[in-house]
Amino acid sequence: MDTSMWLALVCIAIGTYLLRLLPYIWMKRNLAKKQAEDGIDAMPTWLTILGPTMIAAMFGTSLVPAHSDMFSWLATGVGILITLGVWTRTRSMGLPILCGVVAFGMITLFFVL
Amino acid sequence: MSTTTQTLAGTSWKEGVKDAIPLLGGYIPVAISFGLISVQSGFSVVETILISAFIYAGASQFLFVAMAASGAPLWLVVIMTLLINARHIVYGPNLSPYLNHDKKWLPLMHGLTDQIFALAHARLPQLPEHARIGWYTGAAMLAWLSWIAGTALGAIAGGELTQRWPLINDILPFALPALFFVLIVPRCNNRLWTLTIALSAVTAIILKMLGYPNVAIPLAAMSGAVLFYTLKNQRLLGGH
Repeated sequence: MDTSMWLALVCIAIGTYLLRLLPYIWMKRNLAKKQAEDGIDAMPTWLTILGPTMIAAMFGTSLVPAHSDMFSWLATGVGILITLGVWTRTRSMGLPILCGVVAFGMITLFFVL
Repeated sequence: MSTTTQTLAGTSWKEGVKDAIPLLGGYIPVAISFGLISVQSGFSVVETILISAFIYAGASQFLFVAMAASGAPLWLVVIMTLLINARHIVYGPNLSPYLNHDKKWLPLMHGLTDQIFALAHARLPQLPEHARIGWYTGAAMLAWLSWIAGTALGAIAGGELTQRWPLINDILPFALPALFFVLIVPRCNNRLWTLTIALSAVTAIILKMLGYPNVAIPLAAMSGAVLFYTLKNQRLLGGH
C-alpha cells in the first residue's frame, strides 16, 4: 500500500472508532448532567426503542440466505423454528443456537448432496 | 442472588467469552472470505490483517478493499465506508446506562460491533454493575481476536479452505441470525413489541433482498420505531 492508502486506512479506522466512542461519551455526560439536576432518567425514549429495533433489523438482514432459492429458505425456516423451539424450553442462549445451526446444516446438506 | 453476583464477579470475563462463542460461527467464515478477497485484490497478508484489526467493521472492510482495488478516489472510499458504519452511532448511547465511569470503557468501544451491541444490550442489564466490564471485555476480545484470526486464515489459506470445505461458508453463518433471534425474542412479550420487532425484521429482509443491504438496518429499525410510536399513540388516544 502506498502512503495515501495508509492514510485512508487510518482515517477510516479512527472515524469508525469515533462513531462508536463519541455518542457513548455524549450520552454518559448527558445522563450524569440530568441525574445531577433532577434525578430523573435522562435516556431519550426513542433511543430505548431504536436499540431493540436495530437488533431486529440485524436479525432480518442476517436471515436472508446467500443463495436465495427455495431450499435455502426452507433450511432457514426450519433452523429458526428449531431455535425457537429449543429456546422456549431452555430459555438459554447457546443450546438453541447450536440446535438451529445443526438443523439448518442438515437441511442444507440434504438438498446439496 | 448474592451468590450469583459473587460468582459472576470472579468469572465475568469467562461468562463474556462463553456468551460470545456463538458469534464465531458468523465471524470466522466471513473473516476468511474477507482475508481471501483482500489478498486477491492486491493487499498483502499483513496489510489485510491490519485492516481487520483497526477498522474492525465487516461491511465497510469489504467496501474499502473493493473500492481501493477499483481505483476509486480515496476521499470517496473514506466517506462511503464511514457512512456504512454510521448506524453504530446509536449503540454506545443505548448501552451507556449500564456502563460505569471506568476509563477502560473508552478503548473497549473499539469492539462495539453490531453483534457485540446486540449481545451486550441483552446481557448487561442482567449482570451486576461490577461484573459488566469484565463480561464485555471477554466477549469483545473473543470477537475481535476471532475476526483477526479468521482474516489471517483467509489471507494465508482461504482459497484452499473454501475449496476443501465449501459448505463452511454456507452453514456456519446461520449462527448469526440464530443469535440475533435468541436475543430479540424475549422482547416479544406483548403485542406492541411483537409487531414492532416483526415489522423491523420483515422490512430488513425486503430491503436486503431488493439489493440495499447497507441501508437495510437503519431504515428497518426506524420503520419499527415509527410503528411503535403510532401504535402507542393510538392506544393512548383510544384510552381517552
